[in-house]
Amino acid sequence: MVDKAKQSGADIAPDAWIEGVQGAEFKTLIDTKRRSIVPMIAIYVVGYMGLSVLAGFGRGILGIKVLGPVNLGFALIAGNYVMSWALALVYARVSANSHDPLVKIVVEKTRARRSVP
Amino acid sequence: MNLITIGMFAAILLISLGITAWAARRTRTTVDFYAAGKGLTAAQNGFALAGDWCSAAAFLGFTGLTALYGMDGALYAVGPLVAFCTVLLLIAEPLRNTGTYTIGDVIMYRMRQPPALAAAIIGTIVINLAYLVPQMAGGGLLIKLLFGFRYDVSVMLVGLGMIIYVAVGGMLATSWVQIVKAILMLGAGFVILILSLKGVGFDPLALFASAEAKAGPNFLLPGNLLKNPFDEVSLGLGYMLGLAGLPHVMTRFYTVPDATTARRSVIWVMFLAGAFFACTTIFGLAAVHYIGPEALRVGNPGGNLTLPLLAQYLGGGKGTTGGDLMLGFVSAVAVATILAVVAGLTLATSGAVANDLYVNLIKKGNVEERQQVLVARITAIVVGVVATLLGILAEGVNVAVLVILAICIAASANFPVLALSLFWRRFNTGGVIGGMGLGLISSVGLALIGPAYLGPHALWPLVNPTVVALPLGILGAVLGSLIAGRNHEHEKRFGEVTFRIQTGLRSRS
Repeated sequence: MVDKAKQSGADIAPDAWIEGVQGAEFKTLIDTKRRSIVPMIAIYVVGYMGLSVLAGFGRGILGIKVLGPVNLGFALIAGNYVMSWALALVYARVSANSHDPLVKIVVEKTRARRSVP
Repeated sequence: MNLITIGMFAAILLISLGITAWAARRTRTTVDFYAAGKGLTAAQNGFALAGDWCSAAAFLGFTGLTALYGMDGALYAVGPLVAFCTVLLLIAEPLRNTGTYTIGDVIMYRMRQPPALAAAIIGTIVINLAYLVPQMAGGGLLIKLLFGFRYDVSVMLVGLGMIIYVAVGGMLATSWVQIVKAILMLGAGFVILILSLKGVGFDPLALFASAEAKAGPNFLLPGNLLKNPFDEVSLGLGYMLGLAGLPHVMTRFYTVPDATTARRSVIWVMFLAGAFFACTTIFGLAAVHYIGPEALRVGNPGGNLTLPLLAQYLGGGKGTTGGDLMLGFVSAVAVATILAVVAGLTLATSGAVANDLYVNLIKKGNVEERQQVLVARITAIVVGVVATLLGILAEGVNVAVLVILAICIAASANFPVLALSLFWRRFNTGGVIGGMGLGLISSVGLALIGPAYLGPHALWPLVNPTVVALPLGILGAVLGSLIAGRNHEHEKRFGEVTFRIQTGLRSRS
């Protein structure tokens, strides 16, 4: 789905953004995005930096065997792969189902305002 | 060196040159040259990103590090995938919505002041050269090893290849060379994975047990490579934020038509490159299992030949047709990898010099379209020649420090400036200069006095200074903004910036 206008970097009137950012739709968009993105950032920062800090300061803990020859360190590394892929899929879904429609509303409202003489 | 390697190498070279000739006819305007006409699909850009991000350091390096140092190699491999979470959630879409060809475009759009653009240009050029030179040196070493040429001749061949791709074919050729290379690399990885697991009855756990039995009880623990605990933290921080500040990765988001496609191309690269990174850990363990830790260290000090050696073993061993075939294939893919990555870096550097420095900073945008393309092509040749000369001079220098340095600067200088430009209302030109300045100086300074460069005489204990340089970069950005003082006009315009970041709608000026 390629928005033709967006492709060429759609132009709007010099002041159109002022009404745009003050609109309720834009505030809804920002709030919705913040609510979904901030927790996801928290998840991978804690998950990945936790692993990095343990690799430096918790070497004994990471050496604990959890599955046959595999220790906790390698299990957490595997967990980081799964976490990243899961976040990618969740974000793709959330943004397609919830962010994109909100962006579309804001874009259409802004364009409609411009066309009114 | 054998006929099979030469044949594969020639085939890859011919395909790349064919792509370049095809792309040259489709490259007329600046948007063609810098951004492949903004016409790539999500899958195409995802493969090209995978090609960009899986440098030889990943392809050969991660496998070798795992084989020699166990878990630290696996930690090196997982970081670049997690890094793409930052790109996906915070950077890719806003960048696509606000810039045209370069990071400098974003900074200039936000700040509208030449000194801010100048700081962004310096950051981009330093990072790209720090990243480009070790790749040139690595490519030179590999060609020297494969064909027996002299080192300087080998580096010049790499330089010639990348200059042709970039100057003639622009972003379109560079992108398709990346795509072809990514497919070859993933194909090679798939074959090696199947053969590695076949020998142990498709039980990866057996590889862990065998590697631990052969390489000793500490092998599966962290700290074999990164002795200082803070270096592990630096590695994590550098990856998590540095990737999002690497200019040659960022410019890839301008090759797609819109933010939605930019987002989907990140999802593609996370699965393509992520799966490959996970495989390098298996390859490293398999190399220890099949070849043995002692045999691996012979003539392979940095571990970079581990993957070719493993491929040769899995193909049937030295001297067999299968072994030669696999060795030739992996070596040819490695050369293709280096050529593709240096081409991407050269193009991103040309963008900073031709588009940011010449057109926007010196000529204030008053350059004709045709002339811009010409300047961009000439710049690509100049950047390529400079990189080739530096690559020749880098013979014998510890090149690993330069890669660490590039990622550290990207995390400490570029990332704070880029993120704050996009998301902080009070960020201003003073902040750009403060963040770039302090981030750059602390990264370069601390890396140069650290063990990577001075060895046992180091004045500072960490190989990778990100853990200190990143907070300093952020501090510089915040202090710079506060010292420069508040400007209500500028802060009011942040609403326009935010509106464009979220919607892609550009205000007419």
